[in-house]
Order: sequence, then structure tokens, then C-alpha cells
Amino acid sequence: MHNVVTKSRDVTLLEVLDRVLDKGVVISGDAVISVADVDLIYLGLKVLLSSVETMEKIRGASITGPMQEAK
Amino acid sequence: MTENQLVYLYCVTNEEPTLKEAENLVEGLYFVHHKGLYAVVRNVEESEFGQEGLKRNMADLEWVKTNATLHESTIEQVMRNTCVIPFKFGTLFNTDDSLKAMLEEYGDEFKAVLGRLENKEEWGVKIYCDIEKLKAFSINDEPEILEIENIISLSSPGRAFFLKKKKTELLVQVTNRKINEYGQETFELLKELSFEARINKLLPREVTERGDDMVLNSAFLVGKDEVDDFINMVDTLKMHYENKGFFVDCTGPWPPYNFCGLSKQKVRNA
Repeated sequence: MHNVVTKSRDVTLLEVLDRVLDKGVVISGDAVISVADVDLIYLGLKVLLSSVETMEKIRGASITGPMQEAK
Repeated sequence: MTENQLVYLYCVTNEEPTLKEAENLVEGLYFVHHKGLYAVVRNVEESEFGQEGLKRNMADLEWVKTNATLHESTIEQVMRNTCVIPFKFGTLFNTDDSLKAMLEEYGDEFKAVLGRLENKEEWGVKIYCDIEKLKAFSINDEPEILEIENIISLSSPGRAFFLKKKKTELLVQVTNRKINEYGQETFELLKELSFEARINKLLPREVTERGDDMVLNSAFLVGKDEVDDFINMVDTLKMHYENKGFFVDCTGPWPPYNFCGLSKQKVRNA
């Protein structure tokens, strides 16, 4: 049996950032400051992450096809 | 708490978290209890995490790395023993009372989500493709391409030139089709073994820092009793795809970032 499963403590930074910066519950309100309120702040990373959409367009539906992100 | 501090929220649970066996826990962690819900928080400096500080620090990749890792590891310690709703990195409140007001407002929804997440884990599956390896595999796997190769070997140089061009185009089509098919197949098979499944954005090489391309980025909410089956299926798929240029990367268990259900409809200012 191949051991494909990585324990979460060994996962790459990418895996962590892909989740904690992009997912998780977002709330907003008067008493709350959140990353969502401070728009476009994770500069270096945000630039890269937002380039994903551009890249998907360039590579086109031919590669991703029906495998688009669930809206 | 002094005037210059804020309350950083990691996650919400519906029972008091036990952190006895926790290792390397961040200092100053405490719980804010309100009507059956526990918010796992710590006090942070406003200069570091306030609007201005956050704006400045989020441009500092090293700061982001350190603090995002801390965010993740803290939630992971809590979820060892308790079902959690993980919050997005950088969710801050002015005081414990303003946090309680939020728990009051969203309490019923949080309880419903926690009920839905009970005894389930999030697992992530990313597939990467070495396109050249897949092409090399496809040449010998596709009758149509083999046939063109045959004809090329028997053709005049002029005709061979055009046929080679056609072969190259065909190869691109075939590899794209295979990427779609394998991605779809993996997703559907794993979805069968899950309660919920999501497809996320593909990350480019600049982010993954890998030599191959991400072709599937997906997350699954798996019942704890079904995790073994899920992992066995991943192993099977991995072995099946290995020689075709695909690498299946499975990680978990994660806090259920992708399955908290509130993230879209509750953003009032979005």
C-alpha cells in the first residue's frame, strides 16, 4: 500500500494559505475588523491568487472544462 | 485588556475545548462563552492587527506565513477533540462583548453548522499533471495518433509535414481530454464517498512552486467512519494515474474551511 496521505502537520505552506486566507467563515459588522474589510491586502499572495483566474482564461475551458469552481 | 488590544477569533465550538494534550500552543489563548457556544480567541496588539496594522502586515509575506501557520495550528489543536467552525484568517473584534454580540446574532446558524459537521472531516485532494509525460503516454495509448504516425512514416516529406502538425494538434486535444476525464473521474469517485464536495480555484505554478500543473483542486467532507475507504480510493487512483503523468496529493484532516456554509450568504458588505 502506498502511503499517499500527508499528515496535516507536514503539509506545505501552500495548503495552509490556500485555506486560511481564502476559506473559512467570514463575518462583518460594526465591531469586526476582518481581512475581508481590508480589501486586496495580501498583496504578494493576492496578486498570485488573482492571477489564477487569468491563467484559467488563458489555458481555457479546454483544460479545466466542466471542472470549474462551484459558484 | 488594555485599550490597545483586539480579540482575534480562531474558531467557534459548541463544547468547551480541551487543550490538555495540545503542543506548542500559542500563548494567551482563552474561550469566550455565550449561550452554549465557545469562541477560541486571544488578545492581540491593535498596532499589529488593527485596520492599519493588518493592511501593512498583509503585504509582508513572512508575517503572513508566520501568522497564517499559527492560525491553522491553533485551530488544529482545538479540533483534535472538538468539532470546530474555522474562521478566516484575520477576524478581529474590539472586545469580548462585541464578539458575544456576534455569537448572539449568528448563534443558531453556528449550532446548525456544527451539527452538520459532527463526526466529519475535511480532506483536500489536488491533482497535478506533468503534461509532457501525459503526452508521451497518450502517443501510445491513442489509436488515432498511432494511425497518423503510421501514415507519416509512409508519406512524402510534404504530406508528412502537415500530418505532423495535425498530430501535434491532436495530441493537445487528447491530453486536455484526458486531464478533464481523470479530474472528473477522481472528483466523482471521491464525492461518492463524501457528504459534500467542492472544486476550488486552480493555483498557478508561481504559487505551487512545482514543475507540473495543478489540474484539480478539490475538498471533501468525509464521515470519520468513511475516511479509510476514502484514503483507499485515493491510493487506488494514485497508483492508476502515476504512469500517465498525474500526481494525486491528498491532505487532511483539515478544519472544515470549505464546508462552513456561512461564508457566502453572510458577508453583508461584500
